[in-house]
Amino acid sequence: MPGKEGLTLFFPEKMAERVLTPVETRAGSAKRTIVFVIVLIVVAALAALPWYGNSVLVQFGISVLLLATLAQGWNIIGGYTGYASFGNSVFYGLGAYGVAIAMVQFKLPFWIGMIAGLVLAVVFAAALGAAVLRLRGHYFAIATLALAFIMTAIVSNVEIAGSNIGLVLPLLKSDVLFYELALGLLVLATMTVWWLANSRFGLGLISIRENEEGAAVMGVNTTLYKTLAFMLSAAFTGLAGGIYAYYITFIDPVGVFDVGLNVKMIIMAVFGGPGTVLGPVVGALILSTISEVLATKVTSIASMFFGIVIVIAVVFMPRGIADVLRRAGRSPLRYFVDNVRTHRL
Amino acid sequence: MATPARTPAAAGNILEVRNLTKRFAGLVAVNDVTFDLRRGEILGLIGPNGAGKTTLVGMINGTIEPTSGDIVFDGHSVLGVPAYRRAHMGIGRTFQVMKPFPGLTVLENAAVGARFGAAGGIKDMRRAQDRARECLEFVGLGRRIDQRADALGGPDRKRLELAKALSMKPTLLLLDEVMAGLNHVEIEEVIEDIRKVRDQGISILVIEHVMKAITSLSDRVFVLHHGEKILEGPTEEVLRDPRVVEAYLGKKRTKS
Ligand SMILES: Nc1ncnc2c1ncn2[C@@H]1O[C@H](COP(=O)(O)OP(=O)(O)O)[C@@H](O)[C@H]1O
Ligand SMILES: [Mg+2]
Repeated sequence: MPGKEGLTLFFPEKMAERVLTPVETRAGSAKRTIVFVIVLIVVAALAALPWYGNSVLVQFGISVLLLATLAQGWNIIGGYTGYASFGNSVFYGLGAYGVAIAMVQFKLPFWIGMIAGLVLAVVFAAALGAAVLRLRGHYFAIATLALAFIMTAIVSNVEIAGSNIGLVLPLLKSDVLFYELALGLLVLATMTVWWLANSRFGLGLISIRENEEGAAVMGVNTTLYKTLAFMLSAAFTGLAGGIYAYYITFIDPVGVFDVGLNVKMIIMAVFGGPGTVLGPVVGALILSTISEVLATKVTSIASMFFGIVIVIAVVFMPRGIADVLRRAGRSPLRYFVDNVRTHRL
Repeated sequence: MATPARTPAAAGNILEVRNLTKRFAGLVAVNDVTFDLRRGEILGLIGPNGAGKTTLVGMINGTIEPTSGDIVFDGHSVLGVPAYRRAHMGIGRTFQVMKPFPGLTVLENAAVGARFGAAGGIKDMRRAQDRARECLEFVGLGRRIDQRADALGGPDRKRLELAKALSMKPTLLLLDEVMAGLNHVEIEEVIEDIRKVRDQGISILVIEHVMKAITSLSDRVFVLHHGEKILEGPTEEVLRDPRVVEAYLGKKRTKS
């Protein structure tokens, strides 16, 4: 059989009986092509938005794209690896401060600030990962949450970071640039997650999520993989923070080390479908839009909005929209019962 | 990707366990156990519940840190070597309390072993999937590859556990009660499977309460009791020993 020379067959006698089924069915790959084309069209339409949309829409777009990037970043550690991180807002804050400190204190260009923020976030993730990634489940969540609170206090006392007053960045009035940057970052993050979903590395992460000891016993270097996932997650989160800092032109510790933002990214990722490629992006888009509409109409409901979403998501669709769509066609009751059963609620 | 050359008839031991001891808080689960596993043989391990069998397997594959003693695999001590590296070296195991990846399909479950197992696994996805599929067909799960693992029934979970270990392409396979909960027909099938695996030159440690499996598979048997090795020898001889009959089979005899 061509192409099989290198594979020492384990059970040669089985080969004869084996029915060769292609890895992907034709229907499956056709569906993939369609999704790919749709995504391409959507990205093109989004990239062109500043030329046909108004400035309010562009500003809303920047906020949604950054949130979607955060949700996608969280997806890597939370959705794929199964570690519910509350420390991602710290990576965001570090990215923002990297840019702010570089530009304000050292008068360096923006892109050098981005690199500084990226390095800060990723190095911090590596160090933090070594300390807390051995904790599982709730313990990991609580440890990262504690850190997120501590960070505000620490940065408030760092002089170069403007202490608790914050830093004012140079003003760049070009929302189009920020919009396109945010879109580019989201596309990069999503392509990375798509690669994860199809790569050996990603399979390792998923196996850790599904059963960490089982993964290690089958040859997955769990410590290394978890740490790399955390660093990758931190990279996108930090870069998003960096873009945000320059865009908003003023940052302070309470504003960018905001645990509430971390909760938001989790809700968006979980609502859309954790551990899926497009779920977190769709989740961010839908929830931001609803939240924005509510904020202009009925403010009292708007403030409760994310709380309501949590309840709905946990009770009715713990695996996100992506899963609801996948199983579309089943009766809602059946879906609900299935969820209760598989998640032992 | 260097696949270690398999020389089934090669002399010597694939595994040498020396004075291995494991103490849990206040309890000696495994006490000063020494034994060899020869290349290409099936070694049976029996003993009542709580004898320390699972703990012993855990120490060999690296999920449990021994208190003292040494484990030599393929000529090298593996003390302090993490579990994933031992998997790369060629140690595969099944869990008595099964550890499937519940949300993944049966095929994906085995693909993890194929892509990460011995020698770091098969890097090419298609080849890895071919191998995973092969192992699943071998244990009789060929028709279930697209099902989620948590949708499988008890016997199929046992089969998956075996297929996952095989997909790693191990040279040493540690089987911890893979037949528990199976019916007679299924037990016969698994016995046949294990024999075929051995014919591939893989050395096997079989832990079973199913005596038929031990008698028909094992070249030799050793007995653990309260963490200590109380006997070792040819299968027939060991099973006839009064101490075994009393310590282990006694209960069953009086029942039936
Ligand atoms: N993680 C652990 N902590 C404390 N005691 C344990 C642990 N694992 C096993 N034991 C104890 O060690 C003894 C041997 O258990 P085990 O190796 O599972 O026996 P077997 O597999 O022969 O039934 C038992 O008394 C068990 O309760
Ligand atoms: Mg046991």
